[in-house]
Amino acid sequence: MKETKIDYKSIYYPPGGILMWILITLELITFGIALIALVAYSKEDPELYHRSRLMLNTTFGAINTVFLLVSGFFMATTVHLFKQQKFDKSLFYLKLTMLGGFLFLGLKSIEYYEKLNMGFILDYNTFFSFYWLLTGFHVIHVLVGLVILFFFYFSLRKKNTKPKLEDVEASAAFWHMCDLIWLLLFPVIYLIL
Amino acid sequence: MRNKDFYTLILLILLTIITAIISVNYNNFKVVTIIILGLSGIKFLAVSFQFMELKKANSFWKILISILLFVIIGIISIIL
Repeated sequence: MKETKIDYKSIYYPPGGILMWILITLELITFGIALIALVAYSKEDPELYHRSRLMLNTTFGAINTVFLLVSGFFMATTVHLFKQQKFDKSLFYLKLTMLGGFLFLGLKSIEYYEKLNMGFILDYNTFFSFYWLLTGFHVIHVLVGLVILFFFYFSLRKKNTKPKLEDVEASAAFWHMCDLIWLLLFPVIYLIL
Repeated sequence: MRNKDFYTLILLILLTIITAIISVNYNNFKVVTIIILGLSGIKFLAVSFQFMELKKANSFWKILISILLFVIIGIISIIL
């Protein structure tokens, strides 16, 4: 089967496109600064941050990490099959990718519901302010990623026209960015404080 | 389905499990923190280089993302 080729070695064409990688870089810098601020604030009252961190459900966090990683694997497979023009298989793996996203959001909703019931709202203390803002912004990214994947899904289902490879790779890069952000958030918020 | 992607996924899940076990069972705060952040860094690089195909990109992007990761993890490790 014929594969579509892009010169990825060019500085202007990383897989996903230069604009997407500029966005990814800026997002990582933003979340990175926020995490550094969280850790810096934790030094002012380590006991409060440690006790607050213990109120989080580490198991939920670990399972959500696995959901996102498996979803990312399915996304990579979707792109690979799309390049080989195996569109039906690509569509199947895209559905699995989105399922991973929905499972993540489902478990996150349960976690949020628990926290709200326990009274750990945004202004409960500074740890929970960081918790809600950082994980909340991440959830928004996952939601936006799912909307992008839905557009990809519907364009892939059309019989006559198929999406461009550049657009497919850009959608995949955004989805993987959600993985990358979570891989930074999970250890700092759930494990080490 | 590509074998390398699948093996990467297995590695990522194993590292996640190891990270969770270490965080619960060991008490040496500084050492545990560095190990957890180090394992997270490996997972970050595995996703970006394998799943996002950064390995195929120009060296500029590889170096930029790697430096960014090391700076974030490095500053957090120093503060903690």
